[in-house]
Amino acid sequence: MKRSTPTWEWLVIGVISAFFIVPMLAMSRFALQRVPMSLLGRSTLFKRWNIKGIINTISDDKFRPAFLMSARLGLLTVVVVLALLLPTVLWLHLRAMKWKMAAEVVSLLAYVVPPIALVVGVSGAYRNTFPWLVSSEYGLVPLYAILCLPFAYRTLDAGVGSLDLHTLVNASRSLGASWTYTFRKILVPNLLSAILTTAFLAFAVVMGEFAIASLLLKRTLPTYMVEAQGREPQGAMAVALLLLVLTTVLFMLIGRIQKRLPNSTSQEIRVSP
Amino acid sequence: MSELDFPWLVSPDLRENVTGGPAGSRASSTSQRKSSSLVLPLVPYFMFVGLFLAVPTVVLFTKAFRPVTGSTTSAMMEAMNESNRSSFVFSLKLSAISAVIGAVLGFVFALATSRIERPRRLRNLVTGFSGVAANLGGIPLAFAFIASLGAQGLFTRILFHNGIDLYGMGFKIYDFWGIVVVYLYFQIPLMLLVMMPAIEGLRPTWREAATNMGASRWQYWRRVGLPILSPSLMGGTLLLFANAFSAYATAYALSSGGSRLVPVQIRFYLQGNTITGKGNLGYALAAWMVLILLFVMSGYLILRHRAERWRKA
Repeated sequence: MKRSTPTWEWLVIGVISAFFIVPMLAMSRFALQRVPMSLLGRSTLFKRWNIKGIINTISDDKFRPAFLMSARLGLLTVVVVLALLLPTVLWLHLRAMKWKMAAEVVSLLAYVVPPIALVVGVSGAYRNTFPWLVSSEYGLVPLYAILCLPFAYRTLDAGVGSLDLHTLVNASRSLGASWTYTFRKILVPNLLSAILTTAFLAFAVVMGEFAIASLLLKRTLPTYMVEAQGREPQGAMAVALLLLVLTTVLFMLIGRIQKRLPNSTSQEIRVSP
Repeated sequence: MSELDFPWLVSPDLRENVTGGPAGSRASSTSQRKSSSLVLPLVPYFMFVGLFLAVPTVVLFTKAFRPVTGSTTSAMMEAMNESNRSSFVFSLKLSAISAVIGAVLGFVFALATSRIERPRRLRNLVTGFSGVAANLGGIPLAFAFIASLGAQGLFTRILFHNGIDLYGMGFKIYDFWGIVVVYLYFQIPLMLLVMMPAIEGLRPTWREAATNMGASRWQYWRRVGLPILSPSLMGGTLLLFANAFSAYATAYALSSGGSRLVPVQIRFYLQGNTITGKGNLGYALAAWMVLILLFVMSGYLILRHRAERWRKA
């Protein structure tokens, strides 16, 4: 049945790939070339390409704090997510299998409550009782942790599930290792692939998160970009390009990790369910 | 537990020691401990989710069922009045159309990719790229499309020079079809990621069996291939729908905040709630979103479960 030269397949792949590549090219041109669209033609195609736009934005005194805030929120979210989920998932697999189903269903709830509804609920519930959560930039961290919960849980659960956990722990414990030593020297190295995947995914999600930050009027990288778009379109485009490159690099790293490290969770990695 | 393999061989007092007493081995005593201490390490997780997800959701619904100031009907009902209903219709239509188009194109894309054997790296390249693109979205994606399909966009100009005036034809990147096109950027790859394992799960023996019995290519797909893939196809479409329905940032940035999407409406009510006294409407709209997503995601999970039936062994 197999034909020697598949044609429609290549046509489909070509057209769809073009759809994916054109916006990226257009974005790069807009960010890196200072030629107005109306003057762009065969003669000006290769003129005035430079990274002035990027440098201008990076030296903008509002960019640095926004970028650093997003990066800090990303790191804090990674820490919170791992600190919360790693012990939980390990314990579920070791001693409390009965509760696994409940924990999994709970982790999926974040898919049902979209970010916008989460903000609305949080501000309704805590604006008067616990205003820090709504007013402080760092109040975003728990909300971002909730946002990351579904894929973080799935990744770590798959990672732990691929280990022979009981044997590892029993061997380590019966050789006299303490729980902390077992955790640090046995479990973490074995789960490195799942841990790094979770960390990179969570960091990428936080770096790009807009809905929650914008509704709570916080200055993060994405809200900065939207605000800068009116003032300095090329600069905003350059920042967006940088963010895109950063995200792509993070995902490529995840792909690498999945391939390289033993006990990879080897499932397709995505943020959505 | 191995100590208790032959419990009848152990004298009663010794048995007590083994099962629960402090002299019993560590392993057995932990597994026999009261369930309260087993649950204790799980408390932080459930408490965290309770505090930051469950409580806000419950508050959301209680406020949504309260009446709006100066009215007796609950905000939930009020939220379905004229102007709000139109934004729901807009959001639902947008999600449905981008989901169906994304599902069809994503499926065809997955099918095409799976059928190409050389170069071998193509499949990895496509799935790897899809992993990135499916998670894109938000502000950078909106900007990329403004740069390519906006009024002054690169692709718009190229088309213009070739005699196709997109904006003269009424296309706008921040209108309905504009947003659909932008959403396809993450919908198509997401569908590919859903369908790829399902397509690879179609066993060659099924096709050979069908061919041996005289089935044409068309008959094979009509009677075997598509029925087996249909739970994945429908589930994927629902997933894409949910994905589009909860998206916010991209449409917001495309339209500079003026879109008719439900989340944009929610923002409007929430920010003006002290003046208009209609804050509860924002809660009600958000509550409706949660209900719709609950419905769609349950359907998706059921279909995904069905789809996995064929993937065993």
